[in-house]
Amino acid sequence: MKKSLLALAAAATALAGPAFADKLDDIIGSGKLRCAVVLDFPPMGSRDADNNPQGFDVDYCNDLAKALGVEAEVVETTFPERIPALMSGSVDVAVASTSDTLERAKTVGFSIPYYAFENAVVGRDGVDMANWEGMKGKTVGATAGTYEAIWLEGKVKEWGEGEFRPYQNQADVFLALSQGQLDATVSTVEVAEANVKSGNFGGIKIVDKAPMVPDYVALITLREEYGLINYMNLFINQQVRTGRYAELYKKWVGEGVPADLTIQGVYR
Amino acid sequence: MFETALTAKDLIFLAKGAGMTLVVTAISVFFGTILGIIFGVFRYQVGPWWAAPLTFVLDVFRSIPLLIQLVLANAFVTTVLGIRISGFTVACGVLSLYTAAYCAEIVRGGIESVPPNLRRAARSLGLSWGQDMTQIVMPLATRVALPSWIGLALGVMKDSALVYIVQVVELLKSTQILITRLQEPLFLLMVCGAFYFLISFPIARFGGYLEKRWSHD
Amino acid sequence: MFNYNFRWNQALNSLPQMLEGALVTIEIALLSMLIGISVAILLTVFRLSGSRILNAVATTWVEIARNTPALFQIYMVHFGLGGFGIHLSPYLSLLIGIAFNNAGYLAENFRGALKAIPETQTRAARSLGMSAGKAFRHVVMPQMLRISFLPMTNQMVWAILMTSLGAVVAMNTDLYGVTSELNARTFRTFELFAIAAVIFYLITKAITLSARLLAARLFRY
Repeated sequence: MKKSLLALAAAATALAGPAFADKLDDIIGSGKLRCAVVLDFPPMGSRDADNNPQGFDVDYCNDLAKALGVEAEVVETTFPERIPALMSGSVDVAVASTSDTLERAKTVGFSIPYYAFENAVVGRDGVDMANWEGMKGKTVGATAGTYEAIWLEGKVKEWGEGEFRPYQNQADVFLALSQGQLDATVSTVEVAEANVKSGNFGGIKIVDKAPMVPDYVALITLREEYGLINYMNLFINQQVRTGRYAELYKKWVGEGVPADLTIQGVYR
Repeated sequence: MFETALTAKDLIFLAKGAGMTLVVTAISVFFGTILGIIFGVFRYQVGPWWAAPLTFVLDVFRSIPLLIQLVLANAFVTTVLGIRISGFTVACGVLSLYTAAYCAEIVRGGIESVPPNLRRAARSLGLSWGQDMTQIVMPLATRVALPSWIGLALGVMKDSALVYIVQVVELLKSTQILITRLQEPLFLLMVCGAFYFLISFPIARFGGYLEKRWSHD
Repeated sequence: MFNYNFRWNQALNSLPQMLEGALVTIEIALLSMLIGISVAILLTVFRLSGSRILNAVATTWVEIARNTPALFQIYMVHFGLGGFGIHLSPYLSLLIGIAFNNAGYLAENFRGALKAIPETQTRAARSLGMSAGKAFRHVVMPQMLRISFLPMTNQMVWAILMTSLGAVVAMNTDLYGVTSELNARTFRTFELFAIAAVIFYLITKAITLSARLLAARLFRY
């Protein structure tokens, strides 16, 4: 009797098993990690001459897949689409320079930060702008749904003059800026420098640093996937510990010291 | 203007996007037409009252922007129902129903264009409903419906530019990807536009030709 | 039933904002139709003018509008013209993009309608002493517009649906723009877009209904 009960219990557990398998198990089981990466955001994500994905985020996705012992699949999304893509299950995680805002944390689960950006104000030659406050009253824009866009739209509302335009991707923002459709934009220093240096967009220059707190970005997955979030936390810690973080910084961003990912005076 | 950093590899990349556009279009037009014929015949056969629910649903597909249909279907299937399914499948599913909604109208119009007396005559000669449908109605209705159907198929091809929203990289999206890298927006957009035009224009002209020819006799 | 928590409240709270967006959507569609009809009449006159250049202009316009995606056309108005230093706001880019598309399709409809008007009417009008322009304005055009009334209604519905493409040119005050911006903030994708879908449905129904009423009044005889 006891034996059959045990067998029944075992059978029940086996039956219920798949229902309790979390995303971490799913990924390992399927042998594939699908990462949402934004590929118009150099040096974090872009495409090489063969149109294959490359960049800091792409390497992080590959590293994470390698750690999990699975194959990485990079799914390109735009900034506004990355969280919907995650929610709809077309990707497992987003390695997409996602700022860890409290608003987003209501919807998705964040790892600890894996990178930190500072933001720069980029203006167009010939537009009179001494510092970031020069954006007041101008036509400004940024990529819809990003940290910078939310900040900038808030500023435009606060100033009560000027116009804010949310474009669908980073490339369109810089295209609009270099065409003169925008007077200024706010983007990460890395992206701003890469775009000014590449010469792809004529007539743009970095004006000032944007007065925002450093923009910590984290890996994201579904809110309830604690197992995976826990794994990603340790992964980020290991990347720093093993020097891979510094190595990739050098490879994609350049010389210098990568941003400190800890904050003085507070636990995680 | 023709000095470009576009390489042969980029052209292949664009061609892949164009291939995706054509594949999505072909699948959607194929299933959409089959469904459209079924819906159209059903609506004609059962009369306006019994077909009302179907009419309403098909009307919804024609009254809501395709972009919203795609977003909504994707969110519903994957987030609400929690089914793992690719963006490609969602895109083809939505576009098929979208095509069916328009196709049903075309089919109904085609059937209605066949004079009832002719059909009564056919039935009184002893033809069954099926024979009447395939031997009498189909050849006549096709003449009326085919030009509109060609227009619909081309419309679906152009509308398939919107499936980028569910992460399907079709022609317009691959063009945007190249623009991001090469920063030659005008040139690349011209190439992309020319592609759509080169496919659509001859077929549209052919449809116009058929319409003209068949309306004379 | 579903493994998903609907949060309709949060989305419904945004309803006033979305309705404001709906007004912008209707405004753009109406304006684009007015511009579209005027330009389409002009293109029709071009085609009738007998001038080869004008005919080529009209044909090019019509074929591009009909044979490329509307999304492409709107993107081109903003970034294509932008490349030549012509800067249009998102609102104007979307409006002109849709108007361009409307004009192309309507001009083709008008051409079809013209075939239904016997040429003898023009000749009769001319022989009564009307100039070619007068004959077109007073005899041909009213009939042409009447015959094309149904296609025009359909195009108006299309114009409403096409406003949803404005996001590619950073349009954020129309119904789709407002919805996608709310979505970027709250990620209640299904709820928000379901509400937007209902609003779009009601708008298009209102248009087809009022067009039917208008037709009943205008074409009573």
